Amino acid sequence: MSNAIEVNELRKRYEEIEAVRGIDFVVGTGEVFCMLGPNGAGKTTTTEILEGHRLASSGSVCVLGHDPARGERALRERIGVVLQSSGVQPDLTVSELIEMYGRYYPNRRSVKELIELVELEAKADTRAGLLSGGQRRRLDLALGLVGDPDLLFLDEPTTGFDPQARRHAWSTIRSLCSLGKTVFLTTHFMDEAQTLADRVVVMAGGQIVASGTPEEIGGREQLPTEIRFVLPDGVGLGDLPALAVDAQLTHERDGVLIKTQNGLAATHTLSGWALERGLTLRSFAVAQPTLEDVYLALTGTSEDEQPTPGSNHEEVSR
Amino acid sequence: MNATTTTIARENSSARARGGLRHELGLVAWQVRYEQRGFWRNRRRAIFSFAFPLMFLLIFGSLDSGAHLKHRGNLPFIDFFVPGIIAYAVMVIGFSNVAMSIANLREVGIIKRMRTTPMPWASYLGAITISMVLTVFASVVVLLAVGIVLMGAHVFTATLPGLAVTVVLGTACLTTFGIAVSRLIPNPDSGMPVLMFITLPLSFVSEVFFPLEGAPSWLKSIADVFPLRPLSNALQAAFDPRTHGAGLVGHDLRTLAIWTAVGCLLMVRTMRSLSARD
Repeated sequence: MSNAIEVNELRKRYEEIEAVRGIDFVVGTGEVFCMLGPNGAGKTTTTEILEGHRLASSGSVCVLGHDPARGERALRERIGVVLQSSGVQPDLTVSELIEMYGRYYPNRRSVKELIELVELEAKADTRAGLLSGGQRRRLDLALGLVGDPDLLFLDEPTTGFDPQARRHAWSTIRSLCSLGKTVFLTTHFMDEAQTLADRVVVMAGGQIVASGTPEEIGGREQLPTEIRFVLPDGVGLGDLPALAVDAQLTHERDGVLIKTQNGLAATHTLSGWALERGLTLRSFAVAQPTLEDVYLALTGTSEDEQPTPGSNHEEVSR
Repeated sequence: MNATTTTIARENSSARARGGLRHELGLVAWQVRYEQRGFWRNRRRAIFSFAFPLMFLLIFGSLDSGAHLKHRGNLPFIDFFVPGIIAYAVMVIGFSNVAMSIANLREVGIIKRMRTTPMPWASYLGAITISMVLTVFASVVVLLAVGIVLMGAHVFTATLPGLAVTVVLGTACLTTFGIAVSRLIPNPDSGMPVLMFITLPLSFVSEVFFPLEGAPSWLKSIADVFPLRPLSNALQAAFDPRTHGAGLVGHDLRTLAIWTAVGCLLMVRTMRSLSARD
């Protein structure tokens, strides 16, 4: 089976800066591929080159067997693009727009089916200009799918969604994969990558700094387990039982953080010790580092700069 | 699965190669329909470009009803005003509205979306242009009908060819310029004042609303350089009983043709820059 996307030594220079500095990756057919990275990491530039909006400075790009720079119609008939920054004719209704754009493609999906898929039945006869932000994004998704594409580009598909709408969009995207479609996704949100992606690459400073499955990326499987709890009054760090040799104890703002490769044993020792003394360890939690922790470590950005789900950073759909 | 998809795609493209031109023209016609639908549904735009000239016709036409222009062989004012307003409408729709619409398509990101679809760029731009030209013609027909039926303007069958040719050439000229200038509009909000600043003074010196009999000759020379004066003059000739022949005013049509040629060149440059990638 051939790959949907192949990128070799891709570089993109703007006058002063090199936005993309020699990246390589491959997206297999039927895969959900996710590109993560902070603003300015080069992911938008990369995506726009794949979509044919921008020309590469050097390197090679192959999308469904075509060079996107040539802007061939045969390629455009097989891709769907959902961009944050692309608009629609505001005076046409949802169903008219799906109908209008559908006519451009040789294999089109039915208007009714798409409206049901993105759950805009109640808005089918509403003009696009009167839709809410979330509804507009759902219309964008429908328009991205109207040509029944083999490859779908999704640019931050759930930015500005409420939590329920996000879960919904995720299940829609996952259902696409079961149809054998390839999805190229860019996002800021770790949970989105974790839920949807088969494979993740992290970009920072125009380069790919890590790649792998969401579980293994950045050596996440090898990272120590984290145990957190709040010590009762009158009990100090020194009173804790002896744990595995590698265990690191840190005093956090409101409690204790223990990092160890031997999480299971440490949990057992700690809980036995507390029960024996009749102590309550409030907020006791055992966790593997999240993709977010790995991401922050890789891209070197602090937590405050990271957008949280639902926050309206950047331009949300107009 | 993959192999089947490829086969389907290939069959489709060969089918299209056979249906080639017909397929493309069908696509353009399809797009024109939706452009028209969108245009008329946007009340603000429809009022500004379509109803505005009509309103001028009704207001000024009624105010000066019965007046005659001594310098023009006692021509009834309405026979001067109806063609003037038609020239004004061709400019407002063909030039201002086209420029604003294209700037808006660019600003809102519709052009960006279009480029990712299989709709060919030329077909899309062609469809937008055809749609606007249809709107201009609709406006001209309505203004003529209202002018003749309600305001009592006189048209002569002999000069109808001149009227038609002038409207077509004037529309081509102003529309190409409208597309060309869209490039200079940084955003739709600032576009309207800029366009008003160009079109309103030009309308006054081009004798669209009233004749400039006592005006200094340099003012008239300025007006003669731009396309609006030749357009209104050639149209007014068609309504003047003193005009002989088919009403084709060679001098004005020549000026319009030169402007159209320049407009085409500038339009092509703008179209290229709209589709350019970096």
